Amino acid sequence: MNQFLTRRRYMLLAILAALLLGASGCSGSARATSWTGLNVVGDVLYAADLERVQALDVTAGDPVWTFPKDTEDDGRGIFYVTPAVEGELVVVASQVPSSGFFSRPRNIVWALEADRGRELWRFDEATGQYVEGGALGGGLFVIGNSDGNVYALDVESGDLEWQFETGHRVWATPLIISDTVYVGSMDRHLYALNLSDGRVRWDFEGGGAFAGTPALRDGVLYMGAFDDKFYAIDAETGVQLWIFSGENWFWGGPAIYEGVIYTADVDGNVYALDETGKQIWRKVLGTSVRAGPVVAEDGSTLFVASEDGTLHALDAADGFELWSVKGEGQMLSPPVVDGAAVYVTSIYGEKRILALHVDNGREMWSHPPVVEEE
Amino acid sequence: MYFLAYPFANLMLLLYTFLGNSTVAAIAVLTLLISLLTVPLTLSQQKSSRKMQEFQPELEKLQKKYAKDKEKLAQEQMNLYKKAGINPMSGCLPLLIQMPIWFGLIGAIKYCIPSTPLDLFKFSQHIYKWLPGVEGLVPLQSTFLGMDLGQPPSMAQWWSYALPVLVFITYWLQQKLMTPPTTASSSDDKSQASAMAQQMQMMQTTMPIMMMFFTLSYPTGLSIYFIISSLIRVVQYYFIKTNGAKTK
Repeated sequence: MNQFLTRRRYMLLAILAALLLGASGCSGSARATSWTGLNVVGDVLYAADLERVQALDVTAGDPVWTFPKDTEDDGRGIFYVTPAVEGELVVVASQVPSSGFFSRPRNIVWALEADRGRELWRFDEATGQYVEGGALGGGLFVIGNSDGNVYALDVESGDLEWQFETGHRVWATPLIISDTVYVGSMDRHLYALNLSDGRVRWDFEGGGAFAGTPALRDGVLYMGAFDDKFYAIDAETGVQLWIFSGENWFWGGPAIYEGVIYTADVDGNVYALDETGKQIWRKVLGTSVRAGPVVAEDGSTLFVASEDGTLHALDAADGFELWSVKGEGQMLSPPVVDGAAVYVTSIYGEKRILALHVDNGREMWSHPPVVEEE
Repeated sequence: MYFLAYPFANLMLLLYTFLGNSTVAAIAVLTLLISLLTVPLTLSQQKSSRKMQEFQPELEKLQKKYAKDKEKLAQEQMNLYKKAGINPMSGCLPLLIQMPIWFGLIGAIKYCIPSTPLDLFKFSQHIYKWLPGVEGLVPLQSTFLGMDLGQPPSMAQWWSYALPVLVFITYWLQQKLMTPPTTASSSDDKSQASAMAQQMQMMQTTMPIMMMFFTLSYPTGLSIYFIISSLIRVVQYYFIKTNGAKTK
């Protein structure tokens, strides 16, 4: 009996070990660790689509190219971050998972030809995961990394031009305006850096982490933080102009249209504020929201993607819900509006990319395409 | 498995504010508090183990006496347990009960020092805003001695590999102390005891090795938890041993 009990004890330890093995991610099942992003330029939609980058024709969702061509034999890692596109260049980033206990995941920035998806260069010096995309401007590609650094790469060669170290992870997409890079960090600072050399012009300390991309209008930066506050900051000096209090963290970046600032907190409260920080309206969606809202080109409609896989179309004037479409999985990335279509991407769903009509949410196409059973 | 993770994560946030914004101190104190909470379970497990050791010679006598009658042996063993006040299940049950607590702690560390954005997003809706000082706290400062507590050990911070080694050493020490020695009085028993001793020795070595390999893939913050919890169990063991000797 004693032996039996001792064996049983070890059996329990073995079960615990097996559970730990599963929890450690060694069980072989690949689970998403982040969300995917997309971008539309011209007639092409560029999407980070987990094991590949897709370039799709916006009218029908037909593939233009994929990178890599063969994910089985030519794995380049998992692509999450929103592709940055400028001219003939598409810049994306991936994480190549570790292949054993002593190997570490590799984090790679890839520059691809916009028309063919052919690799131009790669950069693999960062040690952390890339979470949000980078920004292109002034001949540089600037991106934040979980290792706490902001990297600026030459778009022609991929050479590291400068790097700036913050006190914590950098998960926000930088904003490049003229010769300045504005980037938020989890160290609770918003930095204004010289685009040319990465030197700090000013830094603003908030009460929580900055994880979204700021929006700029008339010399004022607007940005929310993890202290449930939404900040207006003078873009020239970094001086705080006003604060608006939300119900929970502001993660995604705000949208601005003709003097109205739209933002959403993770509790699913969507706010419309005027330029003095006064609330115009608030819409409670009743579901979590990670990404910031996006305004239709004519300013009439506000699109908000929520965690439960729903795309909400709100009247920009009063927040009234015009329509909503329930997709699959979780929608954690901001939608993209282009003309008469709004595009949204999700994780954990069969249909990972949806193209919907801005007026009524009617599905125009989805990706991957649904295969009709005979 | 992670149903305790949110309360533990919030407790960790509170400790972080009270302990001078030190993540390692918050992990250490949280582990200590949870260990104190589970002291009755650990005590019962360790006492049961010690009692088993004490009654080992008598059990062996019974095994020898009723070697050919398994049914009678089981009956006599149960009588002995009853007489000695030993619950044969008391060695296993505490381990089962503690499992969700361990997973809760692991989850709490994953939420407070998230290595992935999805972990952080999950936690964003489970922060107890009524706790003082937790606003804007997450993610906690994750750098300790130049290591990122939210990431597994890496060559970029080569010294971070010391943590899995420490996990191995402390877990091995804990296993060694907790495993009862096997004794035998007859030649039959000796061979049985030798086989069992081998099995135990194998477990004593393989479990710490497995733990060490797991921690190579885990964020280093979890290694700190494993080290501290093993050390606490070692201290508990000595405390029980000393107190047991005094009460004899």
